[in-house]
Amino acid sequence: MPTNTPSSFKALTTDDAVLTRNLLHEAIPITGSILSGTYADENIKTYSHGMFESVYDYPYLSSSANHILDLTCGYSATSGLSGATNSQNSKKINVYNQMAQVLVGFDAAAAIRAFDQDGDLSAGTKDRQSFFINFARLLSKDEIKKGSFSLQLGCQESYTAPFEKLVTITDFSGTDGYKVNSPAGEYGILYATSSSEPVLASASVDSAGRVACGLIYYQAGIAVITSSIFLGTSSLGGLLAVNSKFNPALGTTCGNVTASLTASTITVNANKFRHRIYNLSFNNTTELNSSVYFCRAHNTDFNYSANPTYLSASKMVVKNNSQDAPVSFVTTVGLYSPDNELLAVAKLSEPLKKDPTTEFTLRVRLDY
Amino acid sequence: MGFLDNSGDIILDAVLTDLGRKRLAEGNFQITKFALGDDEIDYGLYDKNHPSGSAYYDLEILQSPVLEAFTNNMSSMKSRLISYTSNDLLYLPVIQLNDTLSPRESNSNSYIVPVDLSTMNALTNTAKTALGSGYLNGNDPLGDSPTANYLRADQGLDTTELTPRDQVNPLLLETQYFVQFDNRFGTLCSPSTTLTPVSIDDDNVATYIVTFDSVGGGGGDAVKQIGVDATDSSIAGPRGTYVSLKIASSLELKTSNFLFNQLGSPGSVALTPTTSISLDAADYRFIDTTLRVSGVTTGYTLDVPIRLVKKDA
Repeated sequence: MPTNTPSSFKALTTDDAVLTRNLLHEAIPITGSILSGTYADENIKTYSHGMFESVYDYPYLSSSANHILDLTCGYSATSGLSGATNSQNSKKINVYNQMAQVLVGFDAAAAIRAFDQDGDLSAGTKDRQSFFINFARLLSKDEIKKGSFSLQLGCQESYTAPFEKLVTITDFSGTDGYKVNSPAGEYGILYATSSSEPVLASASVDSAGRVACGLIYYQAGIAVITSSIFLGTSSLGGLLAVNSKFNPALGTTCGNVTASLTASTITVNANKFRHRIYNLSFNNTTELNSSVYFCRAHNTDFNYSANPTYLSASKMVVKNNSQDAPVSFVTTVGLYSPDNELLAVAKLSEPLKKDPTTEFTLRVRLDY
Repeated sequence: MGFLDNSGDIILDAVLTDLGRKRLAEGNFQITKFALGDDEIDYGLYDKNHPSGSAYYDLEILQSPVLEAFTNNMSSMKSRLISYTSNDLLYLPVIQLNDTLSPRESNSNSYIVPVDLSTMNALTNTAKTALGSGYLNGNDPLGDSPTANYLRADQGLDTTELTPRDQVNPLLLETQYFVQFDNRFGTLCSPSTTLTPVSIDDDNVATYIVTFDSVGGGGGDAVKQIGVDATDSSIAGPRGTYVSLKIASSLELKTSNFLFNQLGSPGSVALTPTTSISLDAADYRFIDTTLRVSGVTTGYTLDVPIRLVKKDA
C-alpha cells in the first residue's frame, strides 16, 4: 500500500504475527464429601445397564450440575475372581477388557493385554481386577498433569469409619518416569503410601514405604486402581496389613473386596469404592495454541478518526487551526481478513491517546 | 456487555467474532491486516480551550469506560482511525444524504420501499408512473428511468468556511464506497445497473463495493463527481463524489409475509406519497432497516434509514 494513501487499515507483515504454544494448568480438588455425603447420593447417576455410575458435582437433576467422573470396576476372564455364577460376571469382564484394549492394547496374537503393575508389558505382575476412575474432559481437559495426581483412600478395617487409616496414592514418578507404550498415550505408575499410621503391609512396601497399586493414563484421563488396595496380604496380592470391610452387607466375615467383586454388582462395588475416597486432586493441562499479532501504530499512523463526533461542520473538533497536532483515541483493535471482514476484536480497558508524537505496539493474542 | 476494569494496567480483551468463528470452521481464517477503532469516544468531550491547560483537554475522554468486545462482527469497529501523512489537515470530508435530490419520507424520516407490485399500485397514481418523493421502487427499480427515485449521498467538506470552488484534497476524495445491506431484504442497484455483492457474512449482511471507475469497478453509474456549480448538493463547501443507489426487494419479501410477520410491525400512520393517494395504516406492515455507506478512503460512515413496506393481501 503506498504510504501516502490515506487508509484505516494497516497490513500485518510476517514479522507481526507469531504462533506460540503454552500449557495451562488448573488445580482440581475433589473432596470425598462431594463423592459421598454432601448430596446424599443425589449427585450419583446410575444406569439400568449397570456398567458404571456417574458422579456429578451437584444433584444431577439440576441443570447446573457438571459431570466430573465415572466409576466402574471389572476383572479379567483369567482372574481368579471370574466365575460364571458371579453377579454381572460377563459385564465385569467386558468392562475390564474394554478398558484394557483401549489403554493397554493387544499383544502380537491380537489378544487383549492385561494391566501391568510396572508398565513392562513383556513380563511382571498383572493386575487382573481393578477399579476405574474415568475423569470427565471437563476436569482432565487435554491431560492430567504428570506428577500431580493424588488420591487418598480410607483403608481402615471398619466400614463405618474408613478414614481413620488412610493410604495416599500418587504418581510421584510421573514427571520423569512415565511410560509411553500404551496406545492411549502416556501413563504413570501409581504408588500407595501410608499417610496416617502404617496401613500397608510391611511385606508389600519398598524401602521408601511405597507399593505400586495402579496406573494413571494422563491423556485418557483414567486412573486404574488395583482392588487389592483394600485387601490384606493373605488375599490375591493384597497390600494391607488387615483386610478392609469393603462391603459389610455381604456379612461381617466375608465382606472384603474380593467377595464384593464377585457377589455384588458393578454399581454396588462402585458405591463402596466411592465411600472410601477421602480426597482426590490433580492438576489438569490445557494446551493453548496462540496467535500473537503485533499491531504497530507508528507516529504517522492512526492520528485521525472517522468517528462522526470527530467533525463539526467538517472541521476537526480536536484542532483550533491546521498547525495543531491531530489527536485520536484508541479503544478497539480489529483484525481483518484480506476481504476486510472483521474476524477478531480486541478492546483496550481504557482509551489510549494517539498523536504524531507517540507510537505504540498493541499485542493481541488469540487462543485456540 | 460489561465495562472493562480500568483501575490498573491496560489490558486487551480479545475475541473472535461470529464471522471469524465461521471462517475458522470453513478453514478460511486468515488475518492479514488490522485497524484501530474508537467507537466509545465522544470527541465532543475534547475541550481544547480548557482554562487549566492542555493536560485537561482530553481528561474526560480518557475516563471513558470501554465495553467488553462484541462478538457480532457488525457491532464493532463502526468508526476507525485513519492514517494521513499530513498533520496539518483541519477539515475532513463527510458523507451525508442529499435531501434535496432524494428527500426522505417526512413522517418516518426514512426511505420507503414498496416491496411488491400490489404495494406499488397502492402507492402510485392511476397511470402507475410517478412515485412520491421519499419512495423507492423496490418491486422493479430498474424498470424506472435512471433519474427516477433513488437515494443519494454526497461526499465533501460540509462547511461554509470554504467555498464549493475550493478543492477537496485529492487524497481525501472518495472514489470507492462500501455499501452494506441485509441480503434477506433485497439487493442494491445503481440507477441503471444491478450490483453484485462482494461478500455476504454470517448475519446475511451483503457488502458491495461501488467505484467511480464504471468500467473497472463494477459500480456502473453509482458513483459520480459532484459538479462545482451544482446547487442541489447537500455539501456546502468543496465537493467530492456522490453515490446513488436503488433497492430491489428480495423474492422472499415479494412472495412471502414471513419476514414481515417476524421482523416487521403493522403500519401506524397512513402512507400518503401524494395528496390524492393513501395507504391506510391498517393495510400494510413494514420492516425498518439500515443501509450503510462507508467511504473506502476516509472510513466515514453513513447509516441510511430504510422502511420496507408491504400491503396486506
